[in-house]
Amino acid sequence: MKVGWRTADMSRSILNTVLVALAVLASLPSYAVNPKQGSKPKPQRQEVPVVKDQDGVAEARLIEIYRLIGSAQNREALAKADKLVEDFPHFQLAQLVHGDLLTIQTRAIKAFGDVPDTVARSAGPALAELREESQRRVRALRDRPAAGTIPSQFLALSQKSKHAIAVDASRSRLYLFENSASGLNLVADYYISVGKAGTAKTAEGDQRTPLGVYYITSNLDPKSLKDFYGSGALPISYPNMLDSKRGKTGSGIWLHGTPPNQFSRPPQATDGCVVLANPDLQHIIRTVEVRTTPVVIATQLQWVAPQSTRAESKPFEDALHGWRNAKTSGNLQQVLTYYAQDFNSNGKTLSQWMPTLKTEIDQTQGRTIQLKDVSYLRWTDAADTMVVTFGEVADGTRVGWTKRQYWIRQSNQWKIFFEGVI
Amino acid sequence: MTHSRLPVLGPLRLLTLAAALMFSLAHADEYSDVSQLVRAGKLPEALSKADQYLATKPRDPQMRFLKGVIQRDTGKTTDAISTFTRLTEDFPELPEPYNNLAVLYAGQSQFDKARTALEMAIRTNPSYATAHENLGDVYAKLASQAYNKALQLDSSNAGVPPKLALIRELFSPTGAKGQRPGPAAVTAPAAPAPVATKPAPTLPGPVVAKAPVVTPPATTPMPASTPTTVAATPAAASSTVVAPATATAAPAAAGANPSKDAEAAVHAWAKAWAARDVKAYLASYGKDFSPPGSMSRSSWEEERRMRISSKSKISVKLENLTVTASGNTAVAKFRQDYKANGLAVSSRKTLDLVKNGDRWQIVKESTGT
Repeated sequence: MKVGWRTADMSRSILNTVLVALAVLASLPSYAVNPKQGSKPKPQRQEVPVVKDQDGVAEARLIEIYRLIGSAQNREALAKADKLVEDFPHFQLAQLVHGDLLTIQTRAIKAFGDVPDTVARSAGPALAELREESQRRVRALRDRPAAGTIPSQFLALSQKSKHAIAVDASRSRLYLFENSASGLNLVADYYISVGKAGTAKTAEGDQRTPLGVYYITSNLDPKSLKDFYGSGALPISYPNMLDSKRGKTGSGIWLHGTPPNQFSRPPQATDGCVVLANPDLQHIIRTVEVRTTPVVIATQLQWVAPQSTRAESKPFEDALHGWRNAKTSGNLQQVLTYYAQDFNSNGKTLSQWMPTLKTEIDQTQGRTIQLKDVSYLRWTDAADTMVVTFGEVADGTRVGWTKRQYWIRQSNQWKIFFEGVI
Repeated sequence: MTHSRLPVLGPLRLLTLAAALMFSLAHADEYSDVSQLVRAGKLPEALSKADQYLATKPRDPQMRFLKGVIQRDTGKTTDAISTFTRLTEDFPELPEPYNNLAVLYAGQSQFDKARTALEMAIRTNPSYATAHENLGDVYAKLASQAYNKALQLDSSNAGVPPKLALIRELFSPTGAKGQRPGPAAVTAPAAPAPVATKPAPTLPGPVVAKAPVVTPPATTPMPASTPTTVAATPAAASSTVVAPATATAAPAAAGANPSKDAEAAVHAWAKAWAARDVKAYLASYGKDFSPPGSMSRSSWEEERRMRISSKSKISVKLENLTVTASGNTAVAKFRQDYKANGLAVSSRKTLDLVKNGDRWQIVKESTGT
């Protein structure tokens, strides 16, 4: 019997039923799908070899396959899926799509990831996770931040920070920015996984990813790491001063890669770390700087036009300059009005810390204090806080300190609750 | 007998294999001897006879193909793979070696390679049914592997490899008479049939009304009847045999409803298929039926028999069936929903039917519009 495997009906059925969410992909802006990277060299046709470890390539190729499915080009989609799983055999989502594309060669499929019932029963959670991963990736690519907008936390970022990172947990997405004289530019974004129990870490072992403003503290040598962490790890500064103030516990929150047998992990899979595919992580490791790169992790990022934050940050800027002027004037009592009652600097209460403050003021000897390279990132949850970094230099001196302060807004007054030299 | 091979060869094959073919005609006996030995399970003898032959004609595709089958049957998978691989290199236009290569690869759970080979077979011959069905099985297997990888399930115990259909002979084997079960033997003398139908239109009208009812039972070549009766019938006689059939259909004056009858035949065909009644299923096909691709009738029947009987359950549903009858020919068009062992295929199908005696039989089966 001649059997028509690929009837128009099947094309329609997959169009209609497989990846409903993908229909929207047709309207996606062309997302970094470089055809030159699209395929491995074949013996028959000379093609540009694929750059496998380039960041974002695997996802771009997956999305291209979705797009082909969305336009009922299943043959082309299958051919591309063949290549994708060949290049990324541990990209499970790609395997799932590949399975579907193979399946529709023999029968219509009812759902995305139309695995046999027996498999669905034994691996139901894993299947649900892959479907979720697919949705998150698609959603993040569909709902792109508007051009020129930045996450609302980045009120001011000095040129000392060449890059910045923002994580949107709801989208399972990490955004990488380059910081130039003209401001922050989004240069790449990647799918990420967060804690098994989600976000808002409060305690050690709660399998949650912390929310807040952090900095990359170091770059761990991949050779010193277990395979589990993939191509490297960038620890971040959890718990930060706000976390400590709130009594949050735990440590060892890293941005790290994936184990050899998993190209990417489900949206909620880690013990609290932020996990990226190895090529993506490698790109970040190669790009960003330790200590000066902020990492904002939010449940959902608010994207705003940079200039729209000016007015909003004015009261804080006034407070910061008020503090500087008070310190310049040498009036300790006036300086102290800028500090919160529950101030705590590495274990020192305000009264314990006052001698340090007094010494600093004495050293200034009436010279004007200049604040250089000021960065301030706003973190607002139950409280409204500001993470401030600057160089504090008195006129006529060659060196100063790089300081970090945490401010909190209390009855409409900005107060310092942490200050330290970094 | 030997010329029975000709109708099943596509023009491409004829062109590219002209030399080999002419030669093979002359050496038909060697092929049949080897085939016979294989059938009798005398594999070492078959192999040595094949080798003997290939010593003088090393390029001969038919014998190399048989040798590959023998190697496979004797468990020399690697040798068989290399035999079929070289056949695909030397005769890239032949789908059968690709198919068998795929069978061997699938047996080793190398489904990617099996798939590539089958896709080549289909590229070579798009209507090659065995390759399509094998490919369906391989796709299903690959899909299941992909799902296992996706869900990180252990695929090492993912069940037995699918049983794919091996093509046992490259061309219609000669000298198959007597070795094949009943219906298959009928195919050889298929040649007279077209001769018999062709004269019909030229026949004068008067013969028409005569005895259409009487003749069919006596003369309709039931599949079970020996081929000799047909073959022995002289041309003149055969024209009288067929004439009534054409005549009855032509004016529809006989009162019969040709499209109703043809429709019933289509339903009977589907029913036999679904009931896995191979005999009745094969009997739905007329002598003039041309198997898809370049298969011989006998290997097609063998394949169908294997395909159908190997399934535990088959469901065939026909939708939107329309039958257009004109004279003693009818065309049935429908959508066929086929389900078997987890494989479901929906396709459009067209059956060309011809009335032989009082029986409507399929002479052409095509998929698609």
